[in-house]
Amino acid sequence: MAEYVNKRTNRGAFAGQAPFVRLQAISKHFGKVRANHEITLDIRPGMIKALLGENGAGKSTLMSILSGRFQQTSGDILVDGALTAFHSPKDAIKAGIGMVYQHFMLVESMTVAQNVLLGQEKAFLISPKEQEREVAALAEQYGLPIDPSATVSSLSMGEKQRVEILKLLYRDSRVLILDEPTAVLTPTETEQLFDAMWRMADQGKSLVFISHKLKEVMAVADEIAILRKGEVVDEFKEADVPNEAVLANRMVGRDVELALDAQPVELGATVLDVQGLDGDGLEDIMLSVRKGEIVAIAGVAGNGQKELVEVVCGLRKPVRGDVSILGLEWHDFYPRPPRKGRSLAYIPEDRQGLATCKFVDLVDNFLLTTRHSFTTGPFLNRSKAVDTTIEIVEQFNVQPGHIDADARALSGGNLQKLVIGREFFRQPDIIVAENPTQGLDISATEEVWQRLLEVRKRSGILLITSELNEALQLADRIAVMYRGRIIDQFPKSDTKKVEAIGLMMAGVTPE
Amino acid sequence: MLGFTIEKRQEPLKWGSFFIFLGALVFSLGVSALLLAIQGKPPLEAMYLLWDGAFAHDWALEDTVLKAIPIFLCSLGVAVCFRMQIWNIGAEGQYALGAIGATWVVLSMPDAPVWVLMPLMFLAAATLGALWAIIPALLREKMGLNEIISTLMFNYIGILFLEFLVYGSWKDPASFGFPMTIMFPDTAIIGELFGRIHWGILVCAGAATALTVFLKHTRLGFEIMVSGENPRAARYARMPYSALVVLVMGICGALAGWAGLIETSATLNRLQPTIVVGYGFTAIVVAWLARLRITSIAGYSILLAGLRVGVENLQLELQVPASFTGIMQGLILLSVLAGQFFNWYSFQRSKRG
Repeated sequence: MAEYVNKRTNRGAFAGQAPFVRLQAISKHFGKVRANHEITLDIRPGMIKALLGENGAGKSTLMSILSGRFQQTSGDILVDGALTAFHSPKDAIKAGIGMVYQHFMLVESMTVAQNVLLGQEKAFLISPKEQEREVAALAEQYGLPIDPSATVSSLSMGEKQRVEILKLLYRDSRVLILDEPTAVLTPTETEQLFDAMWRMADQGKSLVFISHKLKEVMAVADEIAILRKGEVVDEFKEADVPNEAVLANRMVGRDVELALDAQPVELGATVLDVQGLDGDGLEDIMLSVRKGEIVAIAGVAGNGQKELVEVVCGLRKPVRGDVSILGLEWHDFYPRPPRKGRSLAYIPEDRQGLATCKFVDLVDNFLLTTRHSFTTGPFLNRSKAVDTTIEIVEQFNVQPGHIDADARALSGGNLQKLVIGREFFRQPDIIVAENPTQGLDISATEEVWQRLLEVRKRSGILLITSELNEALQLADRIAVMYRGRIIDQFPKSDTKKVEAIGLMMAGVTPE
Repeated sequence: MLGFTIEKRQEPLKWGSFFIFLGALVFSLGVSALLLAIQGKPPLEAMYLLWDGAFAHDWALEDTVLKAIPIFLCSLGVAVCFRMQIWNIGAEGQYALGAIGATWVVLSMPDAPVWVLMPLMFLAAATLGALWAIIPALLREKMGLNEIISTLMFNYIGILFLEFLVYGSWKDPASFGFPMTIMFPDTAIIGELFGRIHWGILVCAGAATALTVFLKHTRLGFEIMVSGENPRAARYARMPYSALVVLVMGICGALAGWAGLIETSATLNRLQPTIVVGYGFTAIVVAWLARLRITSIAGYSILLAGLRVGVENLQLELQVPASFTGIMQGLILLSVLAGQFFNWYSFQRSKRG
């Protein structure tokens, strides 16, 4: 994996300056849930502050308070030493605080320059040329390369993110909050983002970098604050940032074992066989998965992975080519696949919108795909399902384990554990897992990985991931996808090819 | 804005929402009174007459309950569709078809014994009503036709078909040209249970109980719930979404059909076009007010039926047209729905300057 070299040149100039924003004893309660408790935090000019913490640690809540989306239950926000109250994001932006959310808020059909200036036009009549010149100058100043006349819909995720950052810079924001900014980026784009962050900090901007990726936080941050269970448990200043293991430890509150035991297990029958699958943006896909192995499809999102998954999971008809699942032709397996035993389980990336219902309790969410096991005649045996849900919640460590709470009360990681517990309960022979740890913190990621490795003994797993590390940790074989094609597939032991995965993901075939 | 800002509540209101409902009701009655005052009618007396005519006497209460029965049945069905986010506004037409089905059985075998006639009437009413709902359901699932449009159109077809029959081949030769069928034989009439209340009310109770059990305790009920909450998750979990759409529409059509049967048999004792008075539309209002909960549907059916009966009193005493019911119904619905805004938002005195 790439090592990042910190390219800050001007940090010394800001050492010891008074904080621009101070959060003082901020607490936030949602009903009985304590999301933030007595958090005190300084945000200083010219510094990159990383907020490190697991999902549900309270990072996003805290930053939503700072950006005016929520109001704190108690505590004060001081801007330049003066007590300030934010009633809406507008107030925060006026005070110079802006946030880049994980989901971009851009008008897709407008140009970069129009998006940046939206709502900020200085005159009634504006010349596009002038707009573009202005945006280009701003982009140049902070090292955010972009074509101001390009339409947003044609941009990559990394470029869209730059537009979001430019929007804030144009509004003269002094504090830029970036919420998990690297989740959607390729390795190269991540490096470019970090370069821009250092450059902005060198010019006196304060940045808040929310993340749970230790490597990135170590590389980019000047100061690190660790949140756990809504409290700041540790803060490190410039020089005294410890090593990765110590950070991880403080973050989860116990020793974590990041190295997994991924010993190969004995291979069984072929559970998925794709021969020459074509059409819908896919090109001549050849792929097979056997019981006992994890086959990872690595690649940047949007290179045909979604279409492939939809075909395998029966949500899309194959245009050309043969797909056979558990020995049955696609048209025999779908539309009525077996309900239990010799079945296929799908763990989709969209846990909230597809795999669960937000406003429904955990038992009903558990029943979603397992309902046939709890049916007698026309009736659903809910009390039996309640018992099983309690077992699954315990076994898979779903927190908080109130089974009568709505699914939306769970954080992403816990929801994912519930989904995995549910799908494993069906004892599937093949599992399709799509970015199963996206947005999950270390301990949840580790648990999910552990579960997938365990279940290999019973089933074959097709793992779709845009995180290289995940593929390397779990897979027995890796296939790299680019523009609808599988560029190459090889066992993990082929170190030479593994080295070149980064290049393959960008469409470059070695040799 | 005028020194106030709108703020989102962190938690929805719990008990406060009852007072919001009361406030909305009082507000809508206030606006109604104002409308009457503009016309030169005494508003306070009008409100009293409304209450007096709907709930204050035994005969008034009986009238109200009798009108609530068909509204309740239609609303049950509508609510099941709405739970699945299927916008069936065709209860009125399904109600007409139910009346046609029941009458057809009576006219075909007027001399059959009651234990043959009654079950067949219920069967025919449910079948025709369901059919009238299932056709739009199939059009929606197979051809992508919006069910709002199709059910609305089917209302008119159904109602006109009823008139076609009653003006034509089903007309009683002894009716002096009035559009009505012959009087039903006693065997085809739903009898009185206590006072003027007939045993159609038991049908309501049975249907409500069965529907509650169905929705809460069966697998299909669970699948309907999920399909309404999140259709994508329903498809992900391989639920037969299209079949469920047909099922909920069929249930609604059958229940509305029974409402038509009960109204024909118990209230008019014959089929005539005056049977179609908009119960199917009132049912939509009831379902929304009740937020699709079965117990609340019972309460709101009585409230809106009372409104209909009370306005008749207004018409007699103050010459207010009966269509005033529609205005009041609309006002109540709008103010209660608008009031629900306050479950999530509140006005705060703005803290700026």
